[in-house]
Amino acid sequence: MTIFSVYIINKAGSLIYHYDAPNTTRPAVEKTFSYPLELVLKVFDEKVTVAFGERDGIKVGHAVLGINGIPADGRFLRDKREILEVLSSEKNYPINIKFGRPPLSINERIMLASMLHSLFAIGSQLSPEPHSSGIRTMETDTFKLHCHQTMTGVKFVIITDPKQGHVDAILRKMYEAYADFALKNPFYSLDMPIRAELFDNSLQSVIEQADKYGISSI
Amino acid sequence: MSRQGNRAGDPRKVNGELFTLTYGALVAQLIKDYENDEQVNKQLDKMGYNMGVRLIEDFLARANTGRCNDFRETADVIAKVAFKMYLGLTPVVSNWSTTGDEFSLLLESNPLTEFVELPPGHANLNYSNLLCGALRGALEMVQMDVDVRFVQDILKGDNITEIRLKFIKRLEDAVPVGED
Amino acid sequence: MSKEEEFKLMYGMIFSIKSFVSRLSPTDMKDGFLNYSTSKYKLHFFETPSGLKFIMNTDLSVGSMKDVLHQMFSSIYVEYVVKNPLCSLDQPITSELFKNKLDEYVRGLPQFGTKTGS
Repeated sequence: MTIFSVYIINKAGSLIYHYDAPNTTRPAVEKTFSYPLELVLKVFDEKVTVAFGERDGIKVGHAVLGINGIPADGRFLRDKREILEVLSSEKNYPINIKFGRPPLSINERIMLASMLHSLFAIGSQLSPEPHSSGIRTMETDTFKLHCHQTMTGVKFVIITDPKQGHVDAILRKMYEAYADFALKNPFYSLDMPIRAELFDNSLQSVIEQADKYGISSI
Repeated sequence: MSRQGNRAGDPRKVNGELFTLTYGALVAQLIKDYENDEQVNKQLDKMGYNMGVRLIEDFLARANTGRCNDFRETADVIAKVAFKMYLGLTPVVSNWSTTGDEFSLLLESNPLTEFVELPPGHANLNYSNLLCGALRGALEMVQMDVDVRFVQDILKGDNITEIRLKFIKRLEDAVPVGED
Repeated sequence: MSKEEEFKLMYGMIFSIKSFVSRLSPTDMKDGFLNYSTSKYKLHFFETPSGLKFIMNTDLSVGSMKDVLHQMFSSIYVEYVVKNPLCSLDQPITSELFKNKLDEYVRGLPQFGTKTGS
């Protein structure tokens, strides 16, 4: 099985912990272009993304991650030049551009967490039958999201590959790790982001065990 | 002490006497630091509360119990599961009020007071008041506002130790949305 | 909750879910969001390239409804709404014929009526 990421959301909907499995690299493609650039680019979410034109593994929605080895930082390169400007002048060509799915920034993650928090609640409100829980699993073609809300309102979220069945055992183990290494640490304040190495380690060992020996080993 | 052997294969065991002594030292220090017993009780309750709000997650993570829909159920879970898990004893649930919103936990022994003899002049001290705070904090996190206090204590010459729990209200606002 | 409110909430939720999953996805998506389930029901989603969205609520035992929703689009919506000159495409569908055909189709599904009590 593959676990992509883990999120823990407190009862107010703020993200208090996130973990990305080290082996999940977001796809990235590097290619040298000559003038004029045949891809249509636009600025979306403060990033320069491909709006139209797919080729050689570069997909619509990919963002410019770097030019000539200089990494991008939003709409700009690290050396403060604006990406669209660099790409529009012919003298900069041939040019090497790195495209890929932009990594999630911490702010985006916080936003996604609070989004899930409200989606979870709406999912329960829209139920055709009374007394429904919130969203427990959500399937897409690229991943599956599993969400477990404890009685105290903390949400444990695991993102796995789409074919993964139940992950209850892992969610349970994670809850135990949270109870042990976050809450029993007297210097951890409730509902605040968890920064504890012991917690990191124990969570990682749960995930590694599941990865190696399958979920039934937990 | 009590926890020994409770969790199969758990290497994190602690000597029970060390624990009782630690608690004793804590209470003794509080008595030195504060002027009267009432204030000591209050501090113990506060510490217990802070423990309770954390301990509840540990409890839920391991005990695998569902939400209680009735105060009688809550009483049962506290006595038979929680006390057993954390103190290694099972108090008797009794003295229900007619409306079913108040009950007592009767303890014949209390591991916290194993070696304790109250010095004179501390008639108002609730030596084990930490337990009250812990119960209150834990219940609050599962959205129940409950008043918890000692009414009898073997330490003070009573025949039995009695903790009284009174249900005040359900904290509807705090109930997480999207529960079954 | 009134029907009107429910529709608005549903629209908003689907909109957010789409944006949510496309950001969260570790790799490039093709179909995107497919379904979610709670303890009581499962919501299936299918969107045409033209942006028309088909949503169906079922009980939890039902598997993928992608083909069913696609069928609803291609052989009921297209046939009885798009090809009906009296149906305007940006107004709520009032056609009785469409309603009857859809009802007939849904009742004829193997998944229909498998629900047991609860």
